[in-house]
Amino acid sequence: MPEIPHDSASAPVGTTTAAHHEQLLARTLVALADTLVDDFDVADFLRTLVEQCLHLMEVSAAGVVLTDPDGRLRMAAASSERAGLLETLAVQADDGPCIECVRTGRPVLSTDLHRDASRWPRFVAAADAAGFRAAQAIPMRLRRQVIGALTLFNTDPVPEDPDRTALAQALADVATIGLLQHRAIDRGDILTEQLQTALNSRVIIEQAKGVLSARSGDPDMEHAFSALRGYARAHNRRLADVSRDVADGTADIRAIIAYAARSHP
Amino acid sequence: MAGSDSERLLALLGNSGGGLEVVRRICELCVTELAVSGAGVSVMGGPLTEGSQILLHATDDVGVKLEDLQLTVGEGPSVDAYNSAGPVIVPDLEVEHGRWPVFAPGAAGFGVAAVCSFPLQVGAARLGVLNLHRTTSGPLTRKRLSGAFALAEAATVALLDDVEASHGTTLLGQGDVHNAVHQATGIVTVQLGVSVHDALLRIRAHAYAHQLTLNEVGRQIVGNELHLQTEE
Repeated sequence: MPEIPHDSASAPVGTTTAAHHEQLLARTLVALADTLVDDFDVADFLRTLVEQCLHLMEVSAAGVVLTDPDGRLRMAAASSERAGLLETLAVQADDGPCIECVRTGRPVLSTDLHRDASRWPRFVAAADAAGFRAAQAIPMRLRRQVIGALTLFNTDPVPEDPDRTALAQALADVATIGLLQHRAIDRGDILTEQLQTALNSRVIIEQAKGVLSARSGDPDMEHAFSALRGYARAHNRRLADVSRDVADGTADIRAIIAYAARSHP
Repeated sequence: MAGSDSERLLALLGNSGGGLEVVRRICELCVTELAVSGAGVSVMGGPLTEGSQILLHATDDVGVKLEDLQLTVGEGPSVDAYNSAGPVIVPDLEVEHGRWPVFAPGAAGFGVAAVCSFPLQVGAARLGVLNLHRTTSGPLTRKRLSGAFALAEAATVALLDDVEASHGTTLLGQGDVHNAVHQATGIVTVQLGVSVHDALLRIRAHAYAHQLTLNEVGRQIVGNELHLQTEE
């Protein structure tokens, strides 16, 4: 994915100009939408997402939890070691804003985690130990499918900020589309290959039947098929592989035809 | 609301079971909901003229003939949709004689006036095509076009689901109208001592020269009624 030049990385959060901020946002959105590149890497992609959250919003850390293709939730990326550990714990404890967010598909905000200690006892204790006082989880969702959550952490209590929520949701939305697109293509590539292999095998088996029939002078295609199958079984080979050899002209045709005679004496 | 008609079509498709049943239902919905005369779905393992393709279903005989004609002459909407990985929409076949000098008049001979072909694909991976044809010329309305896209997408998902099924693909186990052609190809490699590729070319050439369907030529060769000559 294209590198996002973060010349603002060294500047303290909040001092970037509005114009610069907008440029950075635009570049981030483009980078997150670009998952069709050959060297796409999910880990790199999510790291871009959490790092840009730090540049674009006043947050101390960010993390992503994601459902894997088997439907299990996993910590997938974090801007810091502490945030990563906290997200991992949330997944293991099945407790915390990110879990609630994935479950409900709605944003979950705790402006002050100390007030939510009874709501998420284990998560709040761990967050406290990691030095976080506020958390906001944004669903990564496309229509009804929730694939995970982006969580923003602050070391101090924060007021509710609709602008920040909207921006975080926009980033999460673009990232979600990118990820789903990539997953679909991944799945499509593998399955297409399987389908085409199956299809070509089928065609080749028919061709091989034709070759055998012509060589043996027996017009019954069922007999040709029995010969192919009998030979493949006896030699512990796949029907499609034997058929390919027959169609290529590299197989021992006489030996194969002999199996037709055995099954149809 | 945009897409509501697509959603209606997908709701009609509902839970149509698996494999070929879904493909059949998708073709039927094209006919009843998109106002076309016939629809068909082919799975392709490569360019059409390589011969590794299966016509999974066609709602009418014209659909079978159109696919056969394209396989014979190597041109037409399916070929273009697959090769370009984009939809091919021809509201009036009459004006496409330059594009498909053999297919266009041939299709007109079957009474076809308009054709559409939609690739079944995920990203760059292509699985096959959904074909529609109509006996009257005229464009597809925007609503019907979006319906066709939705049904092509549904067919793609059906194919992927079928391949992914734990018991292996069932779609490809179905009868293929071109089985005889594949068998005949094998026979011709022996009779003429040529490669599989050349054997298929010879069969196509014979079908074209004698105005026969590819299938008919395949059947004649398998039935030992026809021997292609070395000097044809």
